Amino acid sequence: MGRTATIASIFTRYDISAEVARQEARRVSADELLQQVADCVIKGDDEAIESIVKKVLATRSPLAVINEGLIPGMAEVSRLWDAGTYFLPQVILSSDAMNVGISVCEAQMGQAVQKKGKVVTHTAEGDIHDLGQVIVNILLNANGFEVINLGADVPVDDVVAACQKHQPIMVTGTALMTTTMTAFPKIAAKLRAHNLNIPFVCGGGAVSEEFVTSFDMGIWGKEASQAPEMAADALSGMSWEEMRAKWNG
Amino acid sequence: MKLSNTMAYDNFADMMFGTAKTPVETRRGLSIGGGYVIPEIKPHPRPGSEKNLKTLLREYERANGDALERCVIVGHPTLVVENEHIFQMTNNPQWGAEIAAQTARQLDEYLEKYGLRTAYRATIADLRKPDMVDMRDSDYTQQVLASFEACAPYADIISIESTGGKEITDHCVIRNDITGMLFGQAVLGGRDMEWLWMQIVDIARRHHCIAGGDTDCAQANTAMFLAGGFTSKDVPHTFAALVRAIAAGRSLVAYECGATGPGKDCGYENPIIKAITGVPISTEGKTSACAHSALIGNAIGAVCDLWSNEAVEYHEMFGATTPAVFTEILGYDAAAMNAAVALGYQKEFQACLVASDRYRDPQSFILCPDNAWIIGKAIVDNNASMYSRGKAAALQAGALLLGDPNLQLTAFEKESLVGYIKELEGLPDTEADFIDLCVHKYSKIKGFKPASYGL
Repeated sequence: MGRTATIASIFTRYDISAEVARQEARRVSADELLQQVADCVIKGDDEAIESIVKKVLATRSPLAVINEGLIPGMAEVSRLWDAGTYFLPQVILSSDAMNVGISVCEAQMGQAVQKKGKVVTHTAEGDIHDLGQVIVNILLNANGFEVINLGADVPVDDVVAACQKHQPIMVTGTALMTTTMTAFPKIAAKLRAHNLNIPFVCGGGAVSEEFVTSFDMGIWGKEASQAPEMAADALSGMSWEEMRAKWNG
Repeated sequence: MKLSNTMAYDNFADMMFGTAKTPVETRRGLSIGGGYVIPEIKPHPRPGSEKNLKTLLREYERANGDALERCVIVGHPTLVVENEHIFQMTNNPQWGAEIAAQTARQLDEYLEKYGLRTAYRATIADLRKPDMVDMRDSDYTQQVLASFEACAPYADIISIESTGGKEITDHCVIRNDITGMLFGQAVLGGRDMEWLWMQIVDIARRHHCIAGGDTDCAQANTAMFLAGGFTSKDVPHTFAALVRAIAAGRSLVAYECGATGPGKDCGYENPIIKAITGVPISTEGKTSACAHSALIGNAIGAVCDLWSNEAVEYHEMFGATTPAVFTEILGYDAAAMNAAVALGYQKEFQACLVASDRYRDPQSFILCPDNAWIIGKAIVDNNASMYSRGKAAALQAGALLLGDPNLQLTAFEKESLVGYIKELEGLPDTEADFIDLCVHKYSKIKGFKPASYGL
């Protein structure tokens, strides 16, 4: 008792006192075969999903597998993440599994699945810390966006050229270091000079809201997990000013 | 390279802040690990100051100078100034050299004028991104080595935060893949460090400076940051704790190559390394909240020799500029520890530091001196390979976490931990078999080139 009281006076484990009852995954399809596909996504089983999708494609169309198995499975993963049952690694593994499933379906269709819109992502020139960008890429992809991944240590002009070529709905920049994030306003200025008024979401490490909102088109991204909803906003036609008003300040 | 097979300390109770088995002496007579704790300040330049050499020199002149001045103002007797290279300083080795030379002149001035005993640590930026370059043969590799050569004549201590294996661990850290972490950290990271540190030690010897040490910042701190605080849902804290234990075997390689310490501040694995090697270490805790949050603010200072702030960007605060303010804070922390030694209360003081964090989190728990020593013992007792000792460290850490009923874990954390242990126990016995397994398993990871590691 005395020891317990002592520990309690030193710190509090809020995660234990606030731990939520873990929710079970819900069924997402009345079709047993499509439910098997969804279960692979929900469990993040990127090994079994290939053979299961191939089996299901014998009796179901690729679009049915995607729209009634893979995508609802990923939506259930998102729900479990929001509910606090899933951690990020489970979401990543589910995304991996979904990608395998989509590839199998695309091979059957002979064409790529129609994506919601393009997002150009990059990590700033001189910065090799791209894990945040990798997570953004995975989450955007899992939510149906086409990611134009420019990778790490990307020169300013390469980002601008990619935006000119792909005409994305949104562009993102990641930086860990304050001395590399200075590339972001240069990119924004060049995009504007080319009349590309694209929402430019910047985040990572020491990148601050104050800095990102100091230049036109800049929107500060606090967490990688915000990226899909931000992309959905851009897709819906929100301007960078409207997005900044929603997400920052 | 011979892998460590003995413990420098026979008992964890012999480990104390301020004292190392093998202290090192700097150019200006500072004994690190010689009986007292020394503050280590690390200013970081403001965005825009990297525009050219002139602006960056001026930024560091002010930042480092403000720290030195504050020591005199409040009476701190010692200071280590560290500059962690930004990209431009290593990519242009002459920039790093001129900043090191400028700082050395500042330290000389304060020694001559006030008798302030100080040292300078130059930490070269590892520009090699494993998935983008050949780790052993690229332009960035040459720049890194050239920067060591350029800075060593002026610096007291040279260090690096090496990145070997990060292409694998970045993939695995967000997939709950403890096998991949072990491969990336112990096997790949260890091999890269051996290749790199043999050269760093040689450079240091030729220039009569100290080959400090490395840190598994690129991997273990990535896991720690993703694990975050009590509200984070990114990476289980038990995962980050095991990754930290593996990191000890990896960062140990620097000392097996001839580095003498002080270890790098952000190497939270340093207490384990001190138990094994007896080298002085730098650690960071509550005073690094300016750079990042951590769940071990006090206990990480229990066996430190340098006490650091991680990094603080140069800015004005109400009290002065940030380097001045944080130098003052670090110096008072060190003064309290040194006063405890002077009064003979160091054991009690250390006990308070440890008790305040011991059960806060799995990561803080394994880094308390007693547990750090036990993990170190597992490393030296399983030294057949970098793999075997990394696995042993992780399993030992897992056993410690499950073995103390006072340590609370969420159901998810505990369930995850049991899973990691089972996975580790099922891995091959020999390193050769483990490498075969992993080279195949991770062959599709973008940019993974076994040849970069001599495999």
